Amino acid sequence: MEFEPIEEFEKELRQTFERRPAPPSLKRRLMERRRVNDPRRNAFPWQRIAAALVLTAMLGGGVAWYQQEEQRKGEAARQQVLTALRITNHALDHMNTQLAAHRHAHNQGESR
Amino acid sequence: MAHDWQPDFEQLVDEHQSMVFSLALRMTGDRGLAEEIAQDVFLELDRHLGKIESAAHVCFWLRRVAMSRSADALRRRRVRGLDLWVEVEEHHGMRIAERTSPLGARLEQLLETLPEQQRAALVLRYQEDLTPEEIAATLDTPVATVKSHLQRGLKLLRAKATSHLKEYIREKEYAGGV
Repeated sequence: MEFEPIEEFEKELRQTFERRPAPPSLKRRLMERRRVNDPRRNAFPWQRIAAALVLTAMLGGGVAWYQQEEQRKGEAARQQVLTALRITNHALDHMNTQLAAHRHAHNQGESR
Repeated sequence: MAHDWQPDFEQLVDEHQSMVFSLALRMTGDRGLAEEIAQDVFLELDRHLGKIESAAHVCFWLRRVAMSRSADALRRRRVRGLDLWVEVEEHHGMRIAERTSPLGARLEQLLETLPEQQRAALVLRYQEDLTPEEIAATLDTPVATVKSHLQRGLKLLRAKATSHLKEYIREKEYAGGV
């Protein structure tokens, strides 16, 4: 008993070795893996929106902090100037008082 | 050279998944592994899609990569020392038997007992209907080697099938007699 002729056997092989349908899970899993592998496909719109919001908040916070810091430095400089003016004013008052006392003593000496 | 062919990945999967899966299944004899190989092959295609020039090129590329990845998978399993053919007998063979004639199912099982290179040549010849020249290009092997694998593989498979057929007829006669 043998497959005769060889063509008959080859015909049987062609029938047996027909392509088999792929399992339905193949495409589903493949598309899922493709989505996970590609970050562009992975990012949903809401994720992108959230990322943009976070970035905007960080930039806004940075700008606000910078402005506040500048304001604080300006105020400190103003206070320093005022203090310097107060000290100068005080020194001038003191000098005027001394000059007045000196002038008064001098006038009394001359009148004698 | 620029090419106008604009493939849609999903459409390519629909068109070729059966081919890629069947090649991997017949080479490895393991449905789970074949599915995994097919997924890997298509993901690789996705990455190389810009280099593919035509529908014929994609078909050639898929066959070539599917055969190569299947060979890699078999090599890995051999290294890990797993007895693939035990699983083939237990799982794959049973599933095939549910779908095809007893002789067809047995032929599938017998195919998997052939040496890997002979099996590859026979699968491409009888599943994909390729000429020896096309098989040689797909497997990157000289045509003379492919012809030799085809002849030896066919002879071996035929001998095994004949032996099985005798056994099958004896069993039928015995069952009819009882």
